[in-house]
Amino acid sequence: MDLTGGPFWFLMGVVFVVVASGFHVFARDRGWVVTWWKALLAVVWYAILSTSFFAWGTLIGENEASAGLKLFLIGLFISIVFGVALIRLMARPAR
Amino acid sequence: MAPGTMEGHMNDKKTAVSRRNFLKIAGLTGAGVQAGALIGAGVAAGKDSESYTGWESFNPGTQFFDRGPFEFDGPAHLPVGPVQRPSHITDYVFGRVATFERAFEANPDWTLEDPIEDLGLVPELVEFYTRFPERLEWDYRTFSETIPANREDTEKYENYYKLAEIYSHGFTAHGRALPSPTDPPEVSDYQMGHEPYTEPIGDAVPFKNPELAAEFFKELAHRYGATLVGITKTNPNWLYSEGWRGCPRDFDYSEMPEHWEYAIVIGVPMEWDVILASPQFSTSYDGYDRVSTVAVRLEGALKYAGYPARAHTPMTGYDLIVPPHAVEAGLGEVGRTGFCITPEAGGNCRMAIVTTSLPLATDRPIDFGVAEFCAKCKLCAESCPSGAMSKADSPDGMVIRGYEHWYVNNGACYNYWRESMGPMGCRQCVAVCPYSRKDNWLHEIARQVDPRDPTGVASSSLLWMQKNLFPYPDADEYRRPPVGRFASFREPPEFLVSERYLAVNIVKPKEG
Repeated sequence: MDLTGGPFWFLMGVVFVVVASGFHVFARDRGWVVTWWKALLAVVWYAILSTSFFAWGTLIGENEASAGLKLFLIGLFISIVFGVALIRLMARPAR
Repeated sequence: MAPGTMEGHMNDKKTAVSRRNFLKIAGLTGAGVQAGALIGAGVAAGKDSESYTGWESFNPGTQFFDRGPFEFDGPAHLPVGPVQRPSHITDYVFGRVATFERAFEANPDWTLEDPIEDLGLVPELVEFYTRFPERLEWDYRTFSETIPANREDTEKYENYYKLAEIYSHGFTAHGRALPSPTDPPEVSDYQMGHEPYTEPIGDAVPFKNPELAAEFFKELAHRYGATLVGITKTNPNWLYSEGWRGCPRDFDYSEMPEHWEYAIVIGVPMEWDVILASPQFSTSYDGYDRVSTVAVRLEGALKYAGYPARAHTPMTGYDLIVPPHAVEAGLGEVGRTGFCITPEAGGNCRMAIVTTSLPLATDRPIDFGVAEFCAKCKLCAESCPSGAMSKADSPDGMVIRGYEHWYVNNGACYNYWRESMGPMGCRQCVAVCPYSRKDNWLHEIARQVDPRDPTGVASSSLLWMQKNLFPYPDADEYRRPPVGRFASFREPPEFLVSERYLAVNIVKPKEG
C-alpha cells in the first residue's frame, strides 16, 4: 500500500482546511485584517515549514538523518525569521 | 433556556467562545499532525522502492528526464589535435596491467631504476610508459607493493566483507556465462547464437522508417531491463585500434565494419544502497551483469529481425569505448570522472553498446550543466583515495588522443582497486557524485531547477548544501591501515553485514 499516495494527500488537504480555519479565528481574535496577499504569504510560510519537515523525513528515509536534520534546521531558521516578519505584518492595520 | 433572556444570552456567548477556542486548538493540533505526517511521509518517500532509479517495478518509465530543452546539434566532441584511436594494449587499463604483470612475473627483480626495455614489453607499451612515466610508477607499485599488501589484508579482514563478495559473485557467475563473439565482425555479427550453436541471420524485416525502428528497439531495450537508451552513429575514432573480439592478430583494424554504423547505447545503475557503501562493500558487477544481459538480448532481437549486430559490454568485452558514444546519444555529459553523467542516475550508470546496420533515427547530445558543475564541485577528486583525478579548475589543455577532457590517471585508479577490500574495484567517484542520487521529490527539485538556472546560483547553493550538510570521509580514510581505516562512504545495507549472518571469526579493520 502506498502510504503517500492520493488518499494521504487528500487527508493532508482536509487537515490543512482545519489549520486554515484555526488560523482564521486566531487572526480575527487578535484583530488582524488578513488581506488576500497576507493570507498568501501565510500559506507560503506554512509551505516552507511543512517542506522542511518533509525534507527531513525524506533524508531520514535515505539514511542521511544528520543531513536531514541540518536541512530542517535551516528551514526552521528561515521559517522563524519569516514568521516574525509575518506576525508584524499581520498586526499592522490595513490602510 | 428561553432565548432572549440574560442567562440565555450568556450561554450563547460561552458556546460561541468555546467554538472559537475549539477551532484554534484544532488548527494548532492539525499543524502538529501535519508536521508529524510529513516527516512520516518523507521517510516513506526516502525509502520508497520506486525511487531506486532503474530498480523499480517497470522499466519503460525510467528515462523520465525531459531532455528536449537541453538538446543541441552535435557533435558534442570535436577534436583539438591529431586523433588517435584507443589501444587495448596501452590505454585500456586491464589490458595494460595484464601485460605488465606477465612481464614483471618473468622479471621479478626489475625496479623503476632499471631500463624499461629490460622488462621485455611490446614496443607500444614501452613507448606509452615513456610518454606517461607516472603510469609506469603506478603499475609497478600495484604489483610490487599493493597486491602483496592486499593479500595480507584479505587474510585478516576477509570475513568482514564476505557477504559483499558473495553478493557480487552471483552477478559475476551469470555475466561470465554470457556469449562473446568468437569470429570477426563479418562472420560473428551475421550469425544468430554463438559457437557451437550458430545459424545465419535471415532476411531483414523492413521497418517503415528509421524513427519507428528506433522507437521499437528503444522500447525493447527498456523492456529487456535498460534504464536509459539512446542512439548515435558509431564514431570510428572511438574504436579500439586492435584486439577486436574474434579477430586474429593480423586482422585489418584500419576500417570500421560498415555494419557497425549505428550504436544503440544502453545504461543501468548499480543498486543504490550498495553503491553508497563504496569502495569496500559495493560491486560493479550488478550493473555490469544487468547491462550486458540487456545488450545480449538486444543483439539477439536485432539478428532475429535480420540485421547484423554486436553487443559491446562489460561482461563480454568491448571493441569500442562507450562514454563518448553515450554523450553523443544524448544520455548525459562527460564529467570530471571521465564517465557519462546522466540526469536520471548521475554517474551511477553502467553502459553497453549494440552496433548494427539497421537504419535508426539518432538522438541529439544534451547540455544540462555538468561541465560547469564539475568545474567547481571536485568532490570526486577530493574523495579519490588514489588521487587519480585532476583537481584542476578546467580541462583546458588536457588533450587525450586528440580530444580535450579531464585527465584521469587510470594507473593510480587501478592501484586502489587492488588495495581496497570487498569486491574488486572502488566506485568512490560514483558514490560521492552529487548527480548520483535516487529519484525522489527532493532530488527531483535539484534535477529540474539546476539545469534551468542560468545564473549558477542553484548549482552553487546545492553544492554548498552537498558539502556542508552531508558527511564526507577524508580520502585517506578509505586507504588500508595504518594510513586509513578502510572506510566506506556510507554504512553497508543490512543484508551485507557479515556479523549479522555468519558464524565465523570477524576482524574489523578499525579494530585489527
